[in-house]
Amino acid sequence: MKEIDARGLSCPAPVLLTKNTIETDKPGQIRIILDNEASGQNVSRFLSSKNFSVTLDKQGNDLIVTGTIQEGGISKGEGAPVICDISQEDHLPKHDKKIMVMISSSCMGRGDDELGAKLVFNFIKTLKEMGNDLWRLVFVNSGVKLTIEKAQTIEDLEELQTHGLKILVCGTCLDHFKLLEKKRVGETTNMLDIVTSMQLADKVINI
Amino acid sequence: MGEPDDAGVYQISEDLALIQTLDFFTPIVDDPYAFGQIAAANSLSDVYAMGGVPKTAMNIVCFPLEQMDISVLREILRGGLDKMIEAEVALVGGHSVEDKELKYGLSVTGFIHPKKVLTKRDIKPGSMLILTKPLGTGIINTAIKAGLASEELSQKVIHVMAQLNRYAGEAMADFPVNACTDITGFGLAGHLAEMVSGSGAGMRIDSKSLPVFTEALEFATMGLIPAGAYKNRKFRESMLHISSDVFLALADILFDPQTSGGLAISVDKSHAEQLLNSLHKKGIEWARIIGEITTGPERIWVQ
Repeated sequence: MKEIDARGLSCPAPVLLTKNTIETDKPGQIRIILDNEASGQNVSRFLSSKNFSVTLDKQGNDLIVTGTIQEGGISKGEGAPVICDISQEDHLPKHDKKIMVMISSSCMGRGDDELGAKLVFNFIKTLKEMGNDLWRLVFVNSGVKLTIEKAQTIEDLEELQTHGLKILVCGTCLDHFKLLEKKRVGETTNMLDIVTSMQLADKVINI
Repeated sequence: MGEPDDAGVYQISEDLALIQTLDFFTPIVDDPYAFGQIAAANSLSDVYAMGGVPKTAMNIVCFPLEQMDISVLREILRGGLDKMIEAEVALVGGHSVEDKELKYGLSVTGFIHPKKVLTKRDIKPGSMLILTKPLGTGIINTAIKAGLASEELSQKVIHVMAQLNRYAGEAMADFPVNACTDITGFGLAGHLAEMVSGSGAGMRIDSKSLPVFTEALEFATMGLIPAGAYKNRKFRESMLHISSDVFLALADILFDPQTSGGLAISVDKSHAEQLLNSLHKKGIEWARIIGEITTGPERIWVQ
């Protein structure tokens, strides 16, 4: 594996360094150490455009981008659009504990859907009691219906969001229910973001 | 003026107000003459964005005398002056200081009718939004720094950045325009967010109709995105709903910091096509209708 230390370099130097290395050495795997978020994203995008699968890890103040060449070798063109949306943490409040809550249905529990809808509304209203430990709120499957216009839960969700809570809403699910244009809160997300969030969280609560 | 806007306005009489602004920055291109032109066009732009006419200007210069030959400064000032001549603005003075880092810009004073001041936040539902210059200059400037942009492309971008917003300003004076701002460091999304917040209205942007340097899309995919674009995204992300089928590189361009960008004009729907034609006739070939003003909430939907 080829390793590059690009700490202390600012944009676009880390991308250029990576570009030169993969063009000269043609490594199967490459690891780049960086010290700022913008370079982390840029190097990830660059490697993805060259047909590498990319992971990004945080180690202390450093960011480590690891790229592994995929079948077919390095692509010459600009490549496919990149699905590498790395979370940006540092504008969020400080978390002692990182709790991720995943809501995968528009009602809470089984038995009576009308009751379930009331319960989920109360649940979201009460979520703020978790304080800063509440780190991410993720909506999948029919849960995404709680994030669209006219949903009862919108006001509370918007309040949570203005207090810095990151709300992720599954794009595939919105699309499935034909609700993409009706979403009023949160960022549209993908499975990679959800899986990465689960990995980073101290605790995942499923509803 | 209650809210902060592109420039300050001071009413003198019933039909005259002064409009004042200043802006200066470090070089974004290597050619000193082009830098002078771009910096001047950028400084003058705020006056046009308010619906005013610039009249006088003063040079603002920070120059590293020990590291750079004075001929560089001469070229910068010549570029600036040429733009002031084109804008029919009188250069009436200026001030220079010695500094480690080169900076140049103008302090500009103009005239405006107190009842014709165009603020950012007066957008009205039922209006269309027109953008007059292509996006992607920040990304392309990063590619130029990286040595990956062709000479032809950098000339093209310099030409667009040095273009005065005067002609767009003149064109919109004939139409029922309700709000306007110019697109600079916060990127398109950032400046549109400023128009939206406090307006009571929302916006719908059609990403496919955005005027964009296509090369910027390629460079964005390669990761040649200035750090400022990530900052802009963080700052405004919560106000935007970007549909998941918008190409990532195109979404990046929404946040790309622009230098001397175009005007974003909100004009009554009934006159949007006519204003667009008028802009095209004045040689503003990049102008496009990019979306519409909707009723609240104060959010921006990008499709």
